[in-house]
Amino acid sequence: MDWRWDFTFDVVLPKMWQAAGVTIWATVASFAFALVGGLILMLLKTNRSAWISRPATELIEFIRATPLLVQIFFLFFLLPEIGLTLPPLTTGILAIGIYNSALCAEVYRAGFQAVPKGQWEACTALNMSTYRTFRDVIIPQSLPPIVPALGNYLVAIFKETPLLSFVAVAEIMQVSKLIGAEYYRFTEAITIAGIFFLVMSLIAAFGIRLVENYVKRSILH
Amino acid sequence: MTHPMIQFDKVLKAYGALQVLKDLDFSVDNGEVVSIIGPSGSGKTTVLRVLMTLEGIQGGTMYVNGEPLNKMNVDGQLVDASKAHIRRIRSKIGMVFQSFNLFPHMTALDNCNESPIHTQGKSKAEATEESMRLLEMVGLAEKANHYPSQLSGGQQQRVAIARTLAMHPEILLFDEPTSALDPEMVGEVLEVIRDLAKSGDYTMLLVTHQMGFAREVSDRVCFFDGGKMVEQGKPDDLFGNPQHDRLKQFLSKVLEAG
Repeated sequence: MDWRWDFTFDVVLPKMWQAAGVTIWATVASFAFALVGGLILMLLKTNRSAWISRPATELIEFIRATPLLVQIFFLFFLLPEIGLTLPPLTTGILAIGIYNSALCAEVYRAGFQAVPKGQWEACTALNMSTYRTFRDVIIPQSLPPIVPALGNYLVAIFKETPLLSFVAVAEIMQVSKLIGAEYYRFTEAITIAGIFFLVMSLIAAFGIRLVENYVKRSILH
Repeated sequence: MTHPMIQFDKVLKAYGALQVLKDLDFSVDNGEVVSIIGPSGSGKTTVLRVLMTLEGIQGGTMYVNGEPLNKMNVDGQLVDASKAHIRRIRSKIGMVFQSFNLFPHMTALDNCNESPIHTQGKSKAEATEESMRLLEMVGLAEKANHYPSQLSGGQQQRVAIARTLAMHPEILLFDEPTSALDPEMVGEVLEVIRDLAKSGDYTMLLVTHQMGFAREVSDRVCFFDGGKMVEQGKPDDLFGNPQHDRLKQFLSKVLEAG
């Protein structure tokens, strides 16, 4: 295999450095969106009124049943049609965030349902408000199953960001394609991109394990 | 005019076609200790659960100290109660569960403190002082900083009793409080309940399979079967001279089993 170190250091790494930042930013922002969006969707879905829960359930199903790439294209080409022109990166974060909100909603729901019924009943018997019930009893106990599942979605989102290269976001995959096209050399750029994803995924997995252990230690005794 | 502390007026509870409580009329006086006995499926636990508002009812009205619980008075009309109304009335009721239902991520002390601090607005110092006094009373002051998983079943149930008392309820509901316990731990929990019954400070409603205990502590025992109260009376009368065949059968079976 023809690998050139000078090309790697002089051309590829400087260009990809910035692109890596875009990838990480897209991941973090989409994940933050999905964390909040998922909670909102879950609350809507479990709302007592069918007028709220039905549309939320349908929306979640719709989002889950459509490929992410289609949704990215959809937002990218549709939003300008309705007069909302956002930068490609923002559109991409929105698309990935919405998609993963639908997935995280299920994680939250499963987590809350895993809390034994007796815990809810004890809260009622102690005359606790809904807010206190969730804040002090339900959420702390649902974190141990929720945290690892959400961690998986963080890694999944990270690996979904190359889809943004389809709408010309200068994330790491797009930049390595551009380098390849410009210099007719794909080996170094694509390899570096691969290594970047591998290393970052391993770091993220390690970080998630730390958070998991922390949650388990501080909540389960 | 004095009201009964608890009053059920034609209370109907049904799961679909299955009626668990059939137009139940039932009342308990202030300070009275009442045990409910009966076979499983008789609706005895449901009486406690609907009164604690853990489950809704399909008809009738429940009153606590003369005030409607599941309804409220608006311009002289009884309408479905608001959440705020239910919470206000419900604050008079405390419940001890068969499976304790302590919060596993909180120490015994924090379990007791949770409601006084966050629903009654007490300061942490004030709540802690009271909780420690209650834990002392159930014999667990030295376990205040233990988590439920570090306590035996009997100890957990005693913490649960202290947690319930910390809210200063007027009514105490006990739902088979010793059924989930190993036999050697039943005594320590019954002892606490016996003291509460003797104190006369609480109106108590006790669902139990401990016939000897029910006979000993109760002012009145009610026998439920098929969603209805079949027979009630003073403990010695009900156990010593049962009138209905269903009760006679039930007692002979229970006493046979020991």
